[in-house]
Amino acid sequence: MERTLIAATALLIATAAVSTAQEANAPEQAPPGDPFVQVSDALPLPEFIPGLGTLFVDPATLPAGPFLAYDHDGKLSATVYMTPLEELQNGTAYDDLATASDTVTGVDIYYNAGHPGVDKPHAHVVLFHDPDAKARLAK
Amino acid sequence: MTASRRLVLTLGGGALATLTMAARIGAAAVEVIEMRGTERGDRVWFAPRGLAVATGTTLRFVNLDKGNSHTATAYHPALFDRRRRIPAGAQPWDSDFLLPDESFEVTLTAPGVYDYYCLPHEMAGMAGRIVVGDPADPGWEDASSDTEDVSPEVLASLPSAEDILARGRIGTELDG
Repeated sequence: MERTLIAATALLIATAAVSTAQEANAPEQAPPGDPFVQVSDALPLPEFIPGLGTLFVDPATLPAGPFLAYDHDGKLSATVYMTPLEELQNGTAYDDLATASDTVTGVDIYYNAGHPGVDKPHAHVVLFHDPDAKARLAK
Repeated sequence: MTASRRLVLTLGGGALATLTMAARIGAAAVEVIEMRGTERGDRVWFAPRGLAVATGTTLRFVNLDKGNSHTATAYHPALFDRRRRIPAGAQPWDSDFLLPDESFEVTLTAPGVYDYYCLPHEMAGMAGRIVVGDPADPGWEDASSDTEDVSPEVLASLPSAEDILARGRIGTELDG
């Protein structure tokens, strides 16, 4: 528990800085390598999250991300952003966020009540990078 | 993290007596409390969120949320410096994070009202209340009256002890 909380706290502290523009595009095949870490290695979350896939993130960009989402075969499928509602309401803007791919075929935006790493209620913004990506990440 | 952990909570020297009795009469009663969430994580909850059990009942918390981890954590100063919302004679418990399909067990032997919450989802009001025994039991302690250490969302999710005793279980489904 203590180790998990320390990791989560460290990640959350990193959120003090507003994300700046990132280098666009990520490796098509997982793992993406430094500076990205697999979310399930750093936080108590499933390795594959239904709807989001296997996530990688640069801890310096938390909480917004981008999170790189890979399917069961390790194929890059989506870019995910997580934006706490309270921060948005208080005036924080998450500008110039990078995308994992220049191709975006669909976007889902929905509310999430929170989870380890991003405890505060937040929005998930999911950019799918091919027409089948959503189905591959579903389960 | 092990798939199932067990913690028997009793008072002082009562621990051995409780274990001896359990061995003599066979397996004690087990009640399951599910940790649930919607597919996209917009709602998370304990099912049931209000439960009445006999003294000595084992509670098994099971994470049935495929996309999230949860804890069952008692409100107690020994755990994250929270105000006590379990009987004074009870030991606090914390399940640690449970991944999907993992479970945790705790046996409650002190009569009274126990409030607990999910560590990463307290802000979302994910909390529950267990009533052990009934007010006629020696040492019974009623629900905490504190309203400062917990959010309105948490308070709203906790049924009254009277309702729990009257109905047995409350909230077996979302908003139930």
